[in-house]
Amino acid sequence: MVIETTIILRLTAAFTTMYLVALGHSIFEKSGILNLAIDGVFFLSTGVTTAVVVPLTWLLTARGLSLVLSTTLAALTAGLATAIIGIFMAWTLTKLPISHGAVGLSLMFLGYGLGIIAGYEVRLRVGSIRPYTYPDSLGIYLAILAITVLIGLIAYFFIFKTALGTAIRACGENPHVALALGASVLKTRLIAGLLGFFIMGVGASFFVLLWQKYWDIKTYLLGYGWLAFTIALAAGRHPIVLIPLAFMFGGLVEFSITLQARLGLQADLAKMLPFIAALILMIIYGSTKLRRVFEPPGSLGKVFYKEERTI
Amino acid sequence: MRFIVLRRKTIPRYHTWISTAISLILGILVYLFITILVGRSPLEVLVNIARSFISPSIVKDFFVLIAMGCALLISFKAALWNIGGEGQFYIATIPGILLTLFIFNPRHNPAPAPLVILLVALTGTIMGAFWAFIAALFRAYLKIDEVPVTLILNYVAYYILNYLIFGPFKGRYVYGYLRTDEIPEIYRLNVRVHLPMRGDPLQVALQNLTVQLAYYIALLVLAVLIYVFTWWFFKHCRIGLYTKIHGSNPSYLQAVGVSVNHIILLTMTISGALIGLTGSIYLLSELGRIPYEIERQTAGYGYLAILVSWLSLLDLKMIPFSAYIVSALRNAGIALQVAGLGGVEQSLLLIGAILLTYSITRFLVEYEVRFEW
Repeated sequence: MVIETTIILRLTAAFTTMYLVALGHSIFEKSGILNLAIDGVFFLSTGVTTAVVVPLTWLLTARGLSLVLSTTLAALTAGLATAIIGIFMAWTLTKLPISHGAVGLSLMFLGYGLGIIAGYEVRLRVGSIRPYTYPDSLGIYLAILAITVLIGLIAYFFIFKTALGTAIRACGENPHVALALGASVLKTRLIAGLLGFFIMGVGASFFVLLWQKYWDIKTYLLGYGWLAFTIALAAGRHPIVLIPLAFMFGGLVEFSITLQARLGLQADLAKMLPFIAALILMIIYGSTKLRRVFEPPGSLGKVFYKEERTI
Repeated sequence: MRFIVLRRKTIPRYHTWISTAISLILGILVYLFITILVGRSPLEVLVNIARSFISPSIVKDFFVLIAMGCALLISFKAALWNIGGEGQFYIATIPGILLTLFIFNPRHNPAPAPLVILLVALTGTIMGAFWAFIAALFRAYLKIDEVPVTLILNYVAYYILNYLIFGPFKGRYVYGYLRTDEIPEIYRLNVRVHLPMRGDPLQVALQNLTVQLAYYIALLVLAVLIYVFTWWFFKHCRIGLYTKIHGSNPSYLQAVGVSVNHIILLTMTISGALIGLTGSIYLLSELGRIPYEIERQTAGYGYLAILVSWLSLLDLKMIPFSAYIVSALRNAGIALQVAGLGGVEQSLLLIGAILLTYSITRFLVEYEVRFEW
């Protein structure tokens, strides 16, 4: 029974993290901006979470408030911090005729650096971050899982059933046409950047607060942001399709150590499994009709430039 | 006041250089701003950065980054974003370890050193090419973006190498460390010069530079060879021309009957091959052995070379200049760590800040901004 509960907790945490990061990334990319900053943003969020959750917990628990409140506030703060990057990317890449890839990758490096600066001192002071994370309670985990799935459903409704969602998709398919039809490309992308990066940041904070309950400067080498990138790519950036894929990848990452023990695999081969699975998924996705169904937005990563433009 | 972005009709002379210089200065300013925010002395930081630009210790990075910058330039010119330099670099070291420590280990099966070195270079080149070829297949036939694929392959390469070092490649003479054995001296490509290191600071610096140049002579030859090859490739080779056309207008290639898929495969494979060659020569010149968990100890050349290539504005003439800048900045990052002014984040921030300002200001080469009141 205890083992089953542990499995549910771990799987829920892995899913929640991967799903929210992939979902936020998908919303942003739906607007036509290629997001190669994802891995740096993932790490930055974990660093900010570490920096915020410790003092916040001291402050709030001293006033008799619960740990769940401080961890949740830390997750939201991390979301806000990363949302700033989303807004910056959306503005820069819509207003100026510059490479999405170059800006994304440079923000990735900055995210790594800033993440270390944010989290290192606090981590050094407290040693273990575990006492400042969500309690191992089935109720809390299931509540977070329910909220996560609800956010996914709302995101689906928002993207496919509202005028703003339609504008986001239109900007992703062809920003010039979207503009001609009366949508403000800049405003739409700013909203997508704000929302997408906020969700991404909150999701990545769960890596520290819910899933691993650990943070170290070497976390930036794990490449989990890139896994979320692959999940989003394979799911065609669709909020509902993301759910089973995030479960699969989250499970694969989480249980790679269990698999390693069961199958007698060496640790590094087990760590490689999610990445191999991502490649296999890409092959399936690329070689079947799924490719057409889940095609990326038509203008993804393309420079948006009008012959003469006012900033 | 409003700003208007207009495409330039002609690009002014020296504009590329000016734009690069502006982006560098702005990048360093952004970095300094961050360091001030976290309470570091900007003067100390600046002194360390400035020192690294005249330090002889940058020659190794300089040569490696010229070679890899050229290799990436080939794929970037085709608008194929090979972000997998790290994976291609390290996967190419596997045959080198196998050949020098197992098949032709001088203790059991000595072989002529030049032959083994040649084999290491050749097999490393093939491995690098193969690793890039995988991503090219995904791009050409499955229409999957090469960026995530090359990135994922970096991690796969790290873990394959780690698996081998933990298992079959585990060294026997390693004093308890988890790493491969040291590559035998006869296969190493270093020339050791002993100079007195006396005299005024300039003399000592020159002697130091001579020592470094001799020690990394193989990397110097490699950088020159790859640079000349890249020049020839774009100037005189038809595939080079197709590569450039693919970067600007792939439909034109189709219109003249050239297979776009073949160009993708060829370009990526050549890029990976050159990186593989660099990896294998680096193994014999610098690494000597490979430690476990290579991802935690990598110099990150695969990523730094992206910076070199982008900083050059995809102009071959600018590659040595941008390689010099990036090597100096990398060493500045290390110098800042040694001086107690931070850790690995210093290198990451410096690289990130410069790459970001460069990426943003780069548009000023082709566009101008007018102010209207």
